[in-house]
Amino acid sequence: MRPLLRIACRLIGEEWWPLLRGTLLAVAVLAAGVALLGLSGWFITAAGLAGLAGAGLLFDVFRPSAGVRFLALGRTAARYGERMLTHDATLKSLARLRVELLEALSKNPFSRLANLRAGEQLNRILRDVDTLDGLVLRLIIPFAAATLALIGALVALWLLVGLSLAVWVLAGFGTGSVAALAVVIVRARKPARQAFSAQNALRLRAIDLVAGRGEWLVAGETGLRTDHALAAERKLRDAFVDADRAERMSGLVMSITETIVSGGALLLGAWLVIEGKVDPAVAAIGFFATLALAEILGPIRRGLAELGPMTDAARRVTRMLDAPQPLVAPSAATTSRSSETILSFESVSFGHAEGARILDRFSLDLAAGEIVALTGASGAGKSTILQLAARMHRPTGGAISLLGSPIETWSETELRGQAAFLPQRSALLAGTVRETIRLADPQLDDGAIWALLSSVALDETVAARGGLDMRIGEAGSGLSGGESRRLALARVLARRPRLMLLDEPTEGLDRETALRVLSGIHRHMRANGAILLASHRAAEREFATRCHHVAAPASV
Amino acid sequence: MTPPAAITADATEIEPTSRDKARRRLNRMTEAETPRLRRAEWLTVAASLLWIAQAAAAAWVIDDLVSGPPDLPTALYGSVSFVLVGILRAVLSHRAGSIALAAAQAAIAGERETLLHREALRSPYSGGHQNSAEIATLAADKLAMTLPYLTRYRPAMARARIVPAAIILAALPFSWVAAFILLVAGPLIPVFMALVGMAAQEASERQMEEIGSMNGLLMERIRALTDLRLLDATARTISDFRHSAERLHRKTMKVLAVAFLSSTVLEFFSAIGVALMAVYVGFSLIGQITFGAWAEPLGVGEGIFLLLLAPDFFQPLRDLAATWHDKAQASAVAVELEAIETAPFVPMLGMAHTPKAGPVPATLAIRSLRWTSPSGKGIVFPDFTLAVGQSLAIVGPSGSGKSTLLALISGLARASRGAVLVDDVPLDDETAGGWRRHIAFVQQTPHFAHESLRANLRRFAPEASDDDLRAALSAASATDIVARLPRGLDTRLGATGHGVSGGEARRLTIARAFCSNARFILADEPTADLDAETARAVTEGLMVLKARGASLIVATHDLELAARMDHRITLGDAA
Repeated sequence: MRPLLRIACRLIGEEWWPLLRGTLLAVAVLAAGVALLGLSGWFITAAGLAGLAGAGLLFDVFRPSAGVRFLALGRTAARYGERMLTHDATLKSLARLRVELLEALSKNPFSRLANLRAGEQLNRILRDVDTLDGLVLRLIIPFAAATLALIGALVALWLLVGLSLAVWVLAGFGTGSVAALAVVIVRARKPARQAFSAQNALRLRAIDLVAGRGEWLVAGETGLRTDHALAAERKLRDAFVDADRAERMSGLVMSITETIVSGGALLLGAWLVIEGKVDPAVAAIGFFATLALAEILGPIRRGLAELGPMTDAARRVTRMLDAPQPLVAPSAATTSRSSETILSFESVSFGHAEGARILDRFSLDLAAGEIVALTGASGAGKSTILQLAARMHRPTGGAISLLGSPIETWSETELRGQAAFLPQRSALLAGTVRETIRLADPQLDDGAIWALLSSVALDETVAARGGLDMRIGEAGSGLSGGESRRLALARVLARRPRLMLLDEPTEGLDRETALRVLSGIHRHMRANGAILLASHRAAEREFATRCHHVAAPASV
Repeated sequence: MTPPAAITADATEIEPTSRDKARRRLNRMTEAETPRLRRAEWLTVAASLLWIAQAAAAAWVIDDLVSGPPDLPTALYGSVSFVLVGILRAVLSHRAGSIALAAAQAAIAGERETLLHREALRSPYSGGHQNSAEIATLAADKLAMTLPYLTRYRPAMARARIVPAAIILAALPFSWVAAFILLVAGPLIPVFMALVGMAAQEASERQMEEIGSMNGLLMERIRALTDLRLLDATARTISDFRHSAERLHRKTMKVLAVAFLSSTVLEFFSAIGVALMAVYVGFSLIGQITFGAWAEPLGVGEGIFLLLLAPDFFQPLRDLAATWHDKAQASAVAVELEAIETAPFVPMLGMAHTPKAGPVPATLAIRSLRWTSPSGKGIVFPDFTLAVGQSLAIVGPSGSGKSTLLALISGLARASRGAVLVDDVPLDDETAGGWRRHIAFVQQTPHFAHESLRANLRRFAPEASDDDLRAALSAASATDIVARLPRGLDTRLGATGHGVSGGEARRLTIARAFCSNARFILADEPTADLDAETARAVTEGLMVLKARGASLIVATHDLELAARMDHRITLGDAA
């Protein structure tokens, strides 16, 4: 419940003024509805009485009929205003919440970023935030408005008709609502939660089925995987039916309550007339107003049905907002940072907490102007060295410094400005070639972009396919593996860094293209810069000014 | 076979509007469930009509009070009937809801099943809709958005058709003016609703598009967070995203403004209708209006009855307006579904179910094989024949069609001309499944299912024991990778194999092929991402498989590996 309250405070706090105005309008809508029906009932009954008494001409018809028209039109206008105000305010703060979630997500340490399952995170951001819109719109505002309107109506009934009717209406609706709420809370929570997890399972399995379809077919598993996804769908259906049954049951309880309370109000009014305590027109007010009050409660019931999913969504959303923030490196801009040594590793060790040691007391100095190729068997730790140099992990032992300053002291922006890293696998975003390159540097003009493309031997390909406006699909689709890799390399070159960290930059290229790309890299190397690359190709080793062999740590 | 590019829209055909298309698609979706949906609709109509009886009971009680002398039995009978009919009404509409839900779920389940069965067979090498995430979202989430249309909109529509007319008929015996008031106020509503509804539909479709593109946008950015951070582009990306979120907010408000306007129009008319009715009845009762009632002047009971009927004359129309958005949403989903269904679709060869393995084929051959890419570019492959146990290298520059040829051989892509012959029988939907029982495929970008590494390694050999897996890992030089993983064979790798490097992922997929007993091993760049030493070890491993009697078909840049194969074909300019 606490996360739900926190989110509620947030959503209301940011937009409290429009929400307050919206709530007041909502109260006006409900009150006008009750008054309209009550007044009409009174008007007709009283007119009937006057007609029967032959006093029709003395009866003031104009004020009541004007009141009926005023209430009818005022209610309509208030309803429109209320809806626009509250929806606009709520959706605005939800949009802000989404952005904040993405921001929180981006601050996770690299090791967690690599493990984020994009589908699940997206699901949280979009779906959970969508679910939360009901919190203000369908729960808090209707509840506040209904409570206020109900109190007002009960007081009016007490004054106009009598205490007995007010008590009957309060007791009747009170009991009925509590019973309906109990049904929802007791019987709908669990299936609603099951439905949520089945929905997630269905989504994951559907993605798995469609994204891996070639592989499933070759392995003869297409049928199996389809059944797997459809099993989740069946589970979803069952859970949904259970949740729906509970909600429907609570609706049934509520409808029966409404009928009994209205019927009771009719009987009570008749009894009061027979006893001579009120006149029939006032009894009619009681009955008609009670009928109208029943309509107030409908929206609250629908809101309560969403309470379970909303609580779960709020819990997940707050957990993400509170996700552990990485240690932000303090920027100690005092050191010189113009050292001749671009990068140095001093007996650096690294290993994951659970796994074996990956790097053991590794040392390396990289001077300005140097191109060093790390060689060694796959798994010897070449990629890890590059990742450490890009500060994607913290070493478990030893010290790394960049341009003479310990790497931990660099601010994120400064560090990324000096050292650019091409990992083994890069993600490309959908968009044009121009947008892709400009991601690295928004200031680049078309000429500079063409120069970069020519350095990675992509200029002809791009020119043949529509130039810089050539569209790249999701995750680089439309490009071959080698082409998307070179585009990612161009993005790194566009950063114009002092230190380039390249993990197998010419992988998957034929020798001729590889040589062209390497000379392109060389062109973009800054005179006072250096390159460190992980390599297993002869062409790359020949390109380097020096090779450094990395040996895997002795097995534990 | 016609190339997929030619199957696109026929320009001479008159384009039906998207609304018609959506309606037809939705009807097709509910065809099988029509009887149940009809039953639910009739029950909810019956429940609504019971209000006429309730109104009569209440009017009788009040009439008795006014015309007096009032007596308790009348009040008691009247109130009790009011309550009993009301309970029956509640039960009927409850029942209607359950039936409608069951029918709607069955209809949606049917669509999901069809969609998944179909998309599981779409060739990744053809055009058409290739965004797996979008298709999965459609199947898992968006199809469920048609539920409110079936369970709320359609019953509301049924009520809107019948209940107002029935109420006019009920009012007519007492006063033709009252019936006339309703008759005039009623039909105006659908006219306005239709206008507003059309605007809402268009706005909602645009909003759906925006939601879709924002989902795609965000999904991509989350996947690329590491890269974005390395490029110091996180802040810019977040501010871009903020703009799209704001844009979505503005568009949503536009949709809502139209939707709210439609219900406001309705409320306006219903409020005016009720007010007119109250004023008419009131004036008649005091004798200022003398026309309208048939013979006698209007009595109090009749007046109350008419007043109670008036709101429920408009209620079905208001319910319909409240669910109008559900229809718009369902139509937008239907349009999207239709778009995926009518996009060029080239299935992979063969069926989802796998036939029993036949005898091991003796030869594999291709004859005048030609493939046309979705963009219309053609590739012609040189003929070859390969006997079981022999090996073949496919070489050529990047983009010359090496991977495509492997896809054609394994039946994941369809040739536009020529044939792949297995034992001289052309590969087609009938024969592909049996042929694939004999092949293992090392794809260039492996897909790891969201399950343990052990389960992933057993893909082509479900019965393999841990010992078999260890032998295969060792042959693929992949033992050390598993040793380094935190939970060994029980580790779950991400869909694209995150947690291991590119070379490691490749060696794991090679190990997967090693533990199968397939007699034809297709490998796409098996030594890419590997250092020379490991590449040599993997090559030796492949040669061991060959020595066991397997055929190797290898697409590669690695000349050393290519040199070890018995035959070689060169694609691209040299062909």
